[in-house]
Amino acid sequence: MSMQFRVLTDNLPYLLWGAYPDGPLGGAALTVLLSAGSALASALLGLVLGIALSLLRSWPHLLLTMVLGLLRAIPVLMLIFWTYFLLPIVFHIDVPGVLSVMCALALIGGAYLAHSVHAGISGVRAGQWDAGLSLGMTRTAVLRYIVLPQALQMMLPSFVNQWVTLIKDSSLAYIVGVGELSFVAAQVNSRVMIYPAEIFLFIGLIYFVLCSGLGLFAGRVAAYFQATTT
Amino acid sequence: MNQIQSIMGQMLAPKYLAWLIDGLWMTLLLSAIVAVLATLLGIVIAAARSSRRRCWSLPASGFLSIFRNTPLLVQLFFWYFGVSGLLPESSVEWLNTVHGVALGPYLKLTWPSFELLCAIFGLSLYSAAYISEEIRSGMRGVAPAQRLAAAALGLNRWQGLRYVILPQAIRVALPPLLGQYMNIIKNTSLTMAIGLAELSYTSRQVEAQTFKTFQAFGVATLFYIAAIALIETTGQLIRRKQRLAAGAQR
Repeated sequence: MSMQFRVLTDNLPYLLWGAYPDGPLGGAALTVLLSAGSALASALLGLVLGIALSLLRSWPHLLLTMVLGLLRAIPVLMLIFWTYFLLPIVFHIDVPGVLSVMCALALIGGAYLAHSVHAGISGVRAGQWDAGLSLGMTRTAVLRYIVLPQALQMMLPSFVNQWVTLIKDSSLAYIVGVGELSFVAAQVNSRVMIYPAEIFLFIGLIYFVLCSGLGLFAGRVAAYFQATTT
Repeated sequence: MNQIQSIMGQMLAPKYLAWLIDGLWMTLLLSAIVAVLATLLGIVIAAARSSRRRCWSLPASGFLSIFRNTPLLVQLFFWYFGVSGLLPESSVEWLNTVHGVALGPYLKLTWPSFELLCAIFGLSLYSAAYISEEIRSGMRGVAPAQRLAAAALGLNRWQGLRYVILPQAIRVALPPLLGQYMNIIKNTSLTMAIGLAELSYTSRQVEAQTFKTFQAFGVATLFYIAAIALIETTGQLIRRKQRLAAGAQR
């Protein structure tokens, strides 16, 4: 068993950015775009839902908890099926595959992050709320200027973990035929046939660099914040 | 109203429901096997990772880093397409043919398909990387004095781990461990990409055959939720029992 790396150098441009510029963008570039888009959307959704979870009381709170629990109970793949096959039927419009996958990833990521945001907000001591309110600030103002800045710093690690998961989950777009990294890899593999180990090791390496790179970067950022606040 | 009716349509025919139930059965079987193997492997990795010897801890953290920072789908592709290319041809042929062991006239054990073997192997390694970290943080939750006490009683390192540290660590780590078991159930859905006929695969099949998108995915989703809810309830029952037991001791 000797490894053949010619297959990688021959197909490198296709694996990295698909048929671009002659065709649609694909490969690793699309993986990065897809992950970045759903990371942003999941962060916003997580923030909004997490704040809602902290502010709502009684039955709306219960309802939101149930919806979030439901989203966390179904496999990402199943949610991609829902958004990919059902969105076009329900809205009678043609939804591009990338968008429906992004939608599913953002929903799941948002559902997980909402709980981290909620935990972060509850982690800020009650005295901070009291202090803000006694200064005559409204509840929203206390949340915006006092509680959230402290909570967000605590939440950074869970956001990064969720984003690493997002990069990995973006590979599921393969199932519905979106031409990101895993999809083009499977394409190259079925065209070349004889070097599967080389191809998937290389693809794994690209994902590894993306995921651990994000982790390292986040570690730097956290260290920087720690240095500036203490 | 009309639109809702057209989406909901009628129920699935019994034949297709049976397909989905077969898929659920495969999902549960695969999850159970993977949960056992990944827990055993996770304990070994956790022990290696917390070892003071670098020849143990270094490979363990390398394993964790590689398996946690690459997608499960790519790992499954690697095991399914890659390994069959690297293995000698005769062994692949052997793995792909059906082997059966007849145990009496009715019971017959059949060797699992290559897809199922790959799914078990790939999922177990991936899940072990996550489970080992839960077990390790559980072990850190056990007071260091417990280890010293075990040593004072004359237990060696392995015995201390087996009889003193692990039972307590598993109890501390139980809630996150159950979370990982839920993740295993959800992650089995990815094995449809290597052609294993589990729940997601069969739901896609039913959808393609009947065009009843809503019903096919709806039933599959309900099955997943039921399986997850079952683990959740089990966890609550165990916790209640533990609380009662702890109360009875006092």
